Amino acid sequence: MLAKLITRLKMIRARTANVLTMNKRNLNYIYPSNLRPDFPCADNKLLTKKMLEDCDVTVPNTLLSYSSFYELSTLADDLACHNDFVIKPASGSGGGGILVFVNKEAEHWITPGGKRFTLADIKKHITDIIFGVYSFGLSDDAIIEQRITQHPEITRLSPYGLADVRLIVYQHQPIMCMARIPTLASDGKANLHQGAIGLGIDIKSGVSQHAILIDSDISHHPDTNEALINQQIPHWDRVIEMSSIAARKAPLKYLGIDISISDSGPVLLEINVRPGLQIQNANQKGMRDILEVTRLKGEQQ
Amino acid sequence: MKKIKFQDRYDVRHYAFVVLIISLLASAWGIMAYKLYVLDYPLAGLIPATSYQVDVNIDTTGHGDDISIQTYLPRSDSRQHISAEGNSSGRFNISIENDELNRIAHWNTENSQGLQNIRYSYSVEAKHIRYAIPSDMAIPHSYPEDIQPYLAETAGIQVNDPDIEEALQKLFPDGPLTILNAVTTIHRHLQDNFANKNFSGFTDAITALKLGEASCNGKSRLFAAFARKLGIPARLVGGLIMKSGNKRTSHQWVEIYIAGHWVPFDTINDHFADIPANFLTLYYGDLSLFKRTSNVNFNYSFNMIKRLVPQRDALDSLDQSGFNIFNLYSVFEQVGISQNLLKIILMIPLGALVVVIFRNVIGLETFGTFLPALIAAAARETGLLWGLIGFVLIILISSSVRKVLDWMQLLHSPKMAIMLSTVVIVMMSVTVLSVHFNMFELAHVTLFPIAVLAITAERFSIIELEQGSLKAFKITFTTLIVISACYIVMDSLFLQSMILAFPEMLLVIIALNLWLGKWIGMRVTEFFRFRKLIFAKG
Repeated sequence: MLAKLITRLKMIRARTANVLTMNKRNLNYIYPSNLRPDFPCADNKLLTKKMLEDCDVTVPNTLLSYSSFYELSTLADDLACHNDFVIKPASGSGGGGILVFVNKEAEHWITPGGKRFTLADIKKHITDIIFGVYSFGLSDDAIIEQRITQHPEITRLSPYGLADVRLIVYQHQPIMCMARIPTLASDGKANLHQGAIGLGIDIKSGVSQHAILIDSDISHHPDTNEALINQQIPHWDRVIEMSSIAARKAPLKYLGIDISISDSGPVLLEINVRPGLQIQNANQKGMRDILEVTRLKGEQQ
Repeated sequence: MKKIKFQDRYDVRHYAFVVLIISLLASAWGIMAYKLYVLDYPLAGLIPATSYQVDVNIDTTGHGDDISIQTYLPRSDSRQHISAEGNSSGRFNISIENDELNRIAHWNTENSQGLQNIRYSYSVEAKHIRYAIPSDMAIPHSYPEDIQPYLAETAGIQVNDPDIEEALQKLFPDGPLTILNAVTTIHRHLQDNFANKNFSGFTDAITALKLGEASCNGKSRLFAAFARKLGIPARLVGGLIMKSGNKRTSHQWVEIYIAGHWVPFDTINDHFADIPANFLTLYYGDLSLFKRTSNVNFNYSFNMIKRLVPQRDALDSLDQSGFNIFNLYSVFEQVGISQNLLKIILMIPLGALVVVIFRNVIGLETFGTFLPALIAAAARETGLLWGLIGFVLIILISSSVRKVLDWMQLLHSPKMAIMLSTVVIVMMSVTVLSVHFNMFELAHVTLFPIAVLAITAERFSIIELEQGSLKAFKITFTTLIVISACYIVMDSLFLQSMILAFPEMLLVIIALNLWLGKWIGMRVTEFFRFRKLIFAKG
C-alpha cells in the first residue's frame, strides 16, 4: 500500500518535472535562446517574410501593405481588383485584428461568415491597425495578403476557418506539434483559448493522436462530428522540411512556427518567439525531456 | 577534482546573481544589526499597540424645557492615554469641569424640542498593570489626612454596620495578619462565594452581604466596607470594559490604598491587584456615570472600535536616536511630504512583491503588473471593501463609456485621453454621491491612480471584446483577490513600523525578487492546467 503510494508520488514528481511550465520556458529556453534584438523578425510578419524570401519556404503573397495614414487615400483603387484577401496587423497576436474576405458584391466585400464591409469599414479597420489597436498601442503596419484556400482534407476537418499546424522548434529540431482547428465557438480563429480544437500530432508520421477542446479531451469535432483522431496531415514531409529551413534561417533558437496547408501545399504563416504551453495538453505529454535531450546534443557538438 | 568553469555568459551571470543576492542581504542585515546593537533601537516598541476609539452616544427627547446632562470623561494618566477627543452635540453647549479627581462634561440646552443627539468620542491606549503586594506588610495604624475620608462610612458603604463586623469575624477569626492576607481573603470570598448578578440598579454593601450575590457595584461597595472596617482605605472606580461593538453596560471596581498606591481589585472578573489593558477608568468615587434633568427621555450607549496603532513611546525614542528614518523623514518634511505618504511609498515595493508572488508562484492573471499594489495603497483611506467597490465601479463605468467611443470609431490616442477624463469624472461623481449618502469611506476613491485606472479600463474592454466578458470578469476577480492580499500586507502595522524603522528592508525585498526572478517551479494554477499530464493513471 505504502510502496504503491510512494511509486505513485515518484511518478507524479517525474511527470511534474517533465512539464514545461511558464517560468521554466521563459528562464531556461526563451531568454537564453532568443535575444531581444532578434524578436522583430518573428513579431512582425512583414519582416518574417523578408527574412525568408530567398529560402525554399512558401509564404502568403503580400498584395499590399500600409504603414501610414496618408497611404490610405489610394485604398479604393488598390482594392479595386481584389475580392479575395486577408487584412492582418503585421505585429498582431492571437489572431486579433484579422479580417478575411471571400467575395465582393457591388460596393460590399463579404466575409466567410456573410458579413458585409464597405470601403469605409475597411479603411477604419486599417487605421485601427496602423494606430496600434491590435499591437499594444504601438503603431503597426497593415498587410493585405492573398487568402489561403485550404487543402480539401483539411477543409473536411476544419470547415469553419483556416486551420494551422503549430510546431515547437528548438535548436532547429522540431520538438512537438499540434494542429489548431477553429470552431463555431472560436469564431473562425485558430486560438485554443477562444475554443479552437488542439489536435496533437505525431511528429514523425504527421498523424493526429489526441484532441482537446478548452479543458476536455475529445475525439470528434464538436460542430461537425467529424472524427479527429488518426487523421493524416497532407504534405507532412514538406511541413517538417519548411519548418527546419525557416528555423535555420531565423536567429531564434526556441520558436513556434505556424504553417497552414493550402491546396497547393504548406504555407508558413508566422513565427512566434513565445509559443504557448497548451501544446503539451494537446499531445498528452510534457516536452521537457525532448528539449533537454536536444540541448545536450547541441552542447556536445 | 572540481573546477569553477566560466563556460559561457550564463555561468558568469549565475555567479553575479548569487553575489548580488548575498551582498544585498548582507548589507540589509548589517545596517539592521548596527541599528539594533550599536544604536540600541527599541525593537519591542515596533510591535503595534491596541487602541480603542470610544463614542459616547446620548439621545434625548425634550418637550420644550431646558435640559442638562452630565457625565464623566476619562483623564490621561500613567496607565491610560486619552487622545483625539471630539464633541458633536448640535444645539447643546458643552462645558468641561475638572475637580481634583474627575473630569465632568455638562451639556446644556434651552427649550429642547424633539430628538437631539450628543456624540462625544475619544481614543484610548491603556496598559495592563499588575501590582505586587509585599507579603509581610502590616496594616498601618494611621494615614495622611487626605486619605482619611476613604475610611469613613458613606450611604452605600455601611462600614459600622454590625453585619459587616460579624462577617469579618468569620473571615478573620484571629484578625487579619497582614494587608496581603486581608485583601486576599476578602477578594477570594467575594469572587468565590458571591454569585455575579446582572442587576443594573444600585446595591449597597449590606444588601449585597445579605443576598450573597451582587453586580459589580454591590461587590465593590462590600469590598470597600470590609477594607475600611479593617482600617484599610478603599475607593470605588467607575469605568468601561472596552471591546469592539456597542454596549450600555459600564463597570465598577474597587481600589485599595497600599503603601502609597491605589491598587485595583475586580471581584466580578477576578482581577487581583491587576487591571487589564481594556479597562478604561472614567471616574473615582461612589458616583453615578450619568446625571440629567428629569424632564427628558434619555438613552445612551457606548460604541467602541478596536484598532492597532504604533506605540507612542517607541516613536518618541526612535525620534531621539540619531541615525534613523525619522530624521530622513524630516528631510522629506522640508519638501512637504508627510510621514504618512512616505510610509505608503515605502510599502509599495512590498505590495509589488505580493503581486509577483501571486503572478509567478500562484499563477493568477491580474490587470497590470503593479496595479493591485497601487490600488491597495490608495485604498488605505477607503478601507478594503469600499476600495474594491470603488475600483469595480470605476472600471465598469469607464469601460462601458469606451464601448460607446468604439462605436463612434475614434482614433486610439484621443480615445485614451477621453477615457482618462471619464475616469476623473466617474471618480468625482462617486465622491459627490457617496458624501451625499453619508458613505464617507467611498468618497476617498479620488486618491486612486487615475492613469493606471484609465489603462485598466481600456485593457478590460479589449479583453472583453477579444476574449469574451467571462474572461474579462475572471481577470477582474483575480485582480480583486490580489488587491486584497496587497492591502492586508501593506496595512499590517507591524510591517509598516518595521519598514519605517528599517528602510534597508527594501534591499531584502529586491533580493527576494531576484530569487523569484530565477524561480522555475510550477505555478500553483499550472498543476491544474496540466493535471491530466501529471496525475493521470498508468
